[in-house]
Formats: sequence, structure tokens, C-alpha cells
Amino acid sequence: LPASLGRGCLGRWLLAPRGWALLGTGTGTGSCSCLRWRHQPPLLLRAARQSIGTQAGGLRAEKPGHDSKDVSVQRALNEETLVSAAQRVKEAGRDFTYFIVVLVGIGVTGGLFYVIFKELFSSSSPNKIYGDALEKCRSHPEVISVFGDSIKGYGEATRRGRRQHVSHIEYVKDGLKHMRLKFYIEGTESGKQGTVHVEVKENPETGRFEVRYIFVDIDTYPRRTIVIEDNR
Amino acid sequence: MEEYAREPCPWRIVDDCGGAFTMGAIGGGIFQAIKGFRNSPVGVNHRLRGSLTAIKTRAPQLGGSFAVWGGLFSMIDCSMVRMRGKEDPWNSITSGALTGAILAARNGPVAMVGSAAMGGILLALIEGAGILLTRFASTQFPNGPQLSEDPSQLQPPPFSDYR
Repeated sequence: LPASLGRGCLGRWLLAPRGWALLGTGTGTGSCSCLRWRHQPPLLLRAARQSIGTQAGGLRAEKPGHDSKDVSVQRALNEETLVSAAQRVKEAGRDFTYFIVVLVGIGVTGGLFYVIFKELFSSSSPNKIYGDALEKCRSHPEVISVFGDSIKGYGEATRRGRRQHVSHIEYVKDGLKHMRLKFYIEGTESGKQGTVHVEVKENPETGRFEVRYIFVDIDTYPRRTIVIEDNR
Repeated sequence: MEEYAREPCPWRIVDDCGGAFTMGAIGGGIFQAIKGFRNSPVGVNHRLRGSLTAIKTRAPQLGGSFAVWGGLFSMIDCSMVRMRGKEDPWNSITSGALTGAILAARNGPVAMVGSAAMGGILLALIEGAGILLTRFASTQFPNGPQLSEDPSQLQPPPFSDYR
């Protein structure tokens, strides 16, 4: 609700002394400066009071009678001391717990987003390497001759039958990171399944992964191997 | 799990639809039981009857909504797998977004965009959690094969027919 108040009028609310005294300034100057809200001043008054001041209880809307203004200020001052320290501590504790819960939620959500972005967009993620290798397989003439035109690729089958996880292993050799992937391809002719093995090596200058070899093991008898790329 | 000799995809739709219905019906059943119990007149018989009525009326509705969501999501997912030819987290995120958009189609284009965003973000979070879990589970078993040399299929390419 404070967001809907608009910056200019909110400044005026904040500058005026708290809560109840706003009644006088609000209705007095509301018509000339905050034209938009002429329709709903009582609602906004209450909303502003509840959002700006944290004084609980006792803030019923009082019509600002000219001679009762002093009285209303006095009475409100007394009411403020009635909101005792214990209640304030309890409210502060509650606000603090909510704040911690919100922080934890944001942290978890942020972590999950980071994981999924890294997986989908970073060039050193197994998924990206799998995508590039699959494209190379699809455009290789020998693979097309064995499997047909449209080649599907998939990874390991998790529960529920979804096959999104590509099995990969990372290891370090001679100080450089290597990664090996294994996924399966299938063509339009049924019964022919192939296993694609990919290895990539990290290039120390650019920091990206470069392909070291790609080959396809075809599931026929006798077993055939098609080497797509060999940069050793 | 190589016991699956059949393609997961068309059967997965039925699987997901039924699974979603069960989740919605059971969850809705528990929720409505408590709600019906509390919103009934005093007396255990009244309350039990009230909660049973609430379950009978509301739980299948919730189950149905969940089933529609799950079935539509799985249908779009399988269609995308068929179209793209590979299985990716992108499929899930796009399917979630399209499902959200289609299910909000009655409320106009702006609502569709908002619902699509929510569906996509929800699915992205679920995918992220899934990836985290798989990575975490795979690091539990640190004894991979020692991979210091290249596989034998590569060695002398002219003899690649041998194994």
C-alpha cells in the first residue's frame, strides 16, 4: 500500500509528525496536491498510519475537530506508552523470524536458479557439451548412413522414465580438467542404438572446453565404431 | 534402468497424469478433512460427517486440476522431445511455461504471460533441484574407474572394427 501512495505525498506524510497528526495535514492539503486520491482519503489515511507508524492499537480514525486536535495528540501520547515494551519485543521478534524465513527462502531460490543457469548457459556444463556433440553426430555422413536422417539423443534413464541426465565424469590430468561424457543415440531404423563417448579437455588460455575425441559405438554384431573427431 | 525396453514417452503422459491426480486427491483429501472437521458443528459425529462431505466434494476437484496440469505438461514435454530429438532441461522449462499459458487462456493474453512465467520459473526450480540431487548422489560414490588412458576403441583407427 505505501507503494501506491506515490512519492510526493508519502514525503509529506513522513515529514509530518506521526500517525494521528497526519489527519489534520492530510485532509487539509490532500485535495490540492494529491488529486488522485480524493476518492479514498479515509482508506489511505488508515493505510498510511498502519504502514508508517508501528504503533499498535488505539488509532481509530478521529475526525480532526479544530479544538480537539490538542486533545487527540495528548490521548495518543498516552496510548503509546500503553503499548508496552514486552509487546514491542514480541513484535520485533516476530518480524525478525519472518525476516529470517524470507532470507532463507530467497537464498534457496537463488541457489536453485544459479544451478539451473549454470547448467543451461555455461559453456562448460555437461549439457552444453552433450548438445554440441549431438549436433556433430547429426551432421556426420557415416552416422547418418547407419542411423537414418533424424537422430535422437538421450542420457541416463532416471525414475519416471525421464532421460535427461547425461552421465559424465570429471577428472584432472596433468593439471588440466578433463570431462568424459556418455550418451545414447537412436535413429529412425529401430533396433540400432549407439553409445557416444565424448571427452573434452580444458584449454588453459581460453578456459573453455575443447573436444578431444568423439566416437560412436554401434550396438550391432559385430560391433562397429565410428570415430567422429580425434584431436589427440 | 535398462529394463525399460519401450520408449518412455507416450506412456509417460498417462503415468504423469495419474500420478498428479493421486497427489492432488490425497493432498486435497487430507486438507479438506481437517477443514471440514473444523467447520462443522460441535459433536464428533457432525464433524466426521462434515469432513467426509468435504472430502467427497473437494478432493476430486483438486485431483482433477492437478491431473490436468500434469497431463498437459507431459504432453507438451513429449511433443518437444519428439520435435527437437534430444532430451534436455530446456524441454521441461518450456513445457512448464506453455502449460501455464494454456491453462490461463481464459483470462486473456496478459494473464497468459504471467502464468507462463510462473510455470517456467517453477519448472526451472524443480529442474535445478533435480540436477542438484543427481550431482549430490553421484558424488556419494567417489570410486570411479581410473581413467588415465584413452579407451581402446580409439587406438589405431584402421583397426577400429576389432574390440
